Amino acid sequence: MGNIQSISYFLPELMVIATVVVALIADLVYSDRNSYKVGYLVIAGLVVASFTLWLSLPEETTPIFLNTIVVDPFSRIFKFVFLLATFIVVLMSMNSDELKGVRTGEYYTLMAAMVLGMSLMASSVDLIMVYLSIEIVSIISFILAGYLRAQVRSNEAALKYVIYGAFSSGLMLYGLSLLYGLTGTTKLFQLSGSISSLGPGSNLTLTVSTILMLAGFGYKVAIVPFHFWTPDVYEGAPTPVTAYLSVAPKAAGFALLIRFFNTLFGTGQPLNSPVWQAMEGVPWQDILMVLAAVTMTVGNLVAIQQKNIKRLLAYSSIAHAGYILMGVPVLSQEGVYAIVFYIIVYLFMQLGAFSLAIVVSNRYGTEIIEEYSGIGWKSPYLGFFMAVFMFSLTGIPPTAGFIGKMYLFAALINGGSQFYWLAIIGVLNSVISLYYYMRVVKVMYFQGGREKDLYVPGGMSAAIVLAMAIPSIYFGVRWSFLADWVNSSLKFFIAGF
Amino acid sequence: MTIGVTINSLPVINSSTSMYRDFGTSFIFVLIGIILVAVPLLLQRILSPRRKTAEKMSTYECGEDVEGPAWVKFNIRFYVIALIFIIFDVEVVFLFPWAVVYKELGLFAFVEMMIFLGILALGLAYVWRKGDLEWVKYSVPYGRGRYRKLTIIEETPASPAPAPQETAA
Repeated sequence: MGNIQSISYFLPELMVIATVVVALIADLVYSDRNSYKVGYLVIAGLVVASFTLWLSLPEETTPIFLNTIVVDPFSRIFKFVFLLATFIVVLMSMNSDELKGVRTGEYYTLMAAMVLGMSLMASSVDLIMVYLSIEIVSIISFILAGYLRAQVRSNEAALKYVIYGAFSSGLMLYGLSLLYGLTGTTKLFQLSGSISSLGPGSNLTLTVSTILMLAGFGYKVAIVPFHFWTPDVYEGAPTPVTAYLSVAPKAAGFALLIRFFNTLFGTGQPLNSPVWQAMEGVPWQDILMVLAAVTMTVGNLVAIQQKNIKRLLAYSSIAHAGYILMGVPVLSQEGVYAIVFYIIVYLFMQLGAFSLAIVVSNRYGTEIIEEYSGIGWKSPYLGFFMAVFMFSLTGIPPTAGFIGKMYLFAALINGGSQFYWLAIIGVLNSVISLYYYMRVVKVMYFQGGREKDLYVPGGMSAAIVLAMAIPSIYFGVRWSFLADWVNSSLKFFIAGF
Repeated sequence: MTIGVTINSLPVINSSTSMYRDFGTSFIFVLIGIILVAVPLLLQRILSPRRKTAEKMSTYECGEDVEGPAWVKFNIRFYVIALIFIIFDVEVVFLFPWAVVYKELGLFAFVEMMIFLGILALGLAYVWRKGDLEWVKYSVPYGRGRYRKLTIIEETPASPAPAPQETAA
């Protein structure tokens, strides 16, 4: 579809762009003291964008802008995830003490711009667009991670992030160029056709190219050989940014990963048949399976030793990337369903845990887990909900995390006997993760004095915690609404142009 | 002289002469170009005074060292200016093809380009408001701000020879 006709399909993103422009102008007008008000503008813009997205046709599947991006149910559900995550994080940032005294107008503007980048990531079907959208998200992440310019560790986080980011995007670009060199096209669907007609002679090149591209995607979602930036960046960045980075760009990375690999290396009709065959010759399924196993194990084992709550959640987010990655090589509708479901559930529990970390840091001035001692008695509100999020992250039955994990393992078991070992490793990892999640709960309830100050955080912080906790429990008991929605969204754009 | 020749050949229109006429136009264009460069150069050579000093004979009069190791610190301000330059350079690159097809596309192209220019102008407003167009962003009175360290070093008796001049510069 041409550029001009495409605009009507691009309305939600246009709303986000308009939000960015308006927020930028407003930030120029506001004084330092009033700069935080840009956040309200951004929230309003995000609400309008969500509304526009809601009004768009849910079944619409069209390639737009000269076939570089597509509008389809799969990208639609991810756009909702991005908008929701950004909405929550903007609210969290407004109630964070870390960002007080810093001019935050640009901060909110950048977050709105990031929504645009992530929406493009979830919907791009052209190699150049893939790269561009990843870069939009990355560059904004760098700035956000280093937003507290006066703090050394925030600067360190940004610098490490930039260096890793530049290196991995270079690797990915090389992988993309190999792919282009083999086939002579940048469109994913033409690529898929050309690859299947290449013959076994180019399998080695394809494998190398796959590994190189995985470096780029893996960096975005923090899977293991490409995860080294994660703990330092998560620890150094302002906590709301850490929460954001551990959810939204990760979801975008997985959206891209699923679309990319399923379109490129799956033969047959992606997502419309229950199981479809992988392409012969390129062992990308095995690569992804090994990466998933290693990612879970490393993430969980290293998380055990962490003393800082932000670092703990960083490693836990690596482990969760491993769980989610298990669903990719299964190559079935069930696998993708489990991934999308898990990402939505993960959004609630991870953002909830981080919002509690912010509240604790505002009130008790600590990020060290040992210093959480007695919080369960001092502030039952914080203690109870922290326990809820920890249970949910572990995947203990009455919580949403359990349902998410159950779907993932079910997809693996139904995928065939070659996935059994991965499922076993996944279950073992859940057991390991129980230790360090429960340690937080233990410290809060069974260590330190039991004086009561019955602290309840102020209006908005309490509301955010509650808004994250309710879905974390509710989807563990009644998840049919979410399941139906995810199920109806599992349609890629599949036809050729 | 040459202009006259071109105009005289105007009425005769056939393929070969029209080709000559086209080349004639380019020839005049080149000629005027050469004149426009040569005449001012010649004029300034005749008119301007010449007092050579070492500074004036150096390649860059603005004070950059021409020779030396490549690992020197560049002031970060150069990069800011370069970035701002790139924004508007790219803008011009987009304006050229737009101008070529402007008549065919009409009002739509106009509106589209105005939105694009508006967003870029917002960028200019941004750097202006943030003070990135100032070469010296803020001046610090001596003894305060970044000069404070200097006074502390002078006050401490323990450090005998701090090199305060270098830090100050």
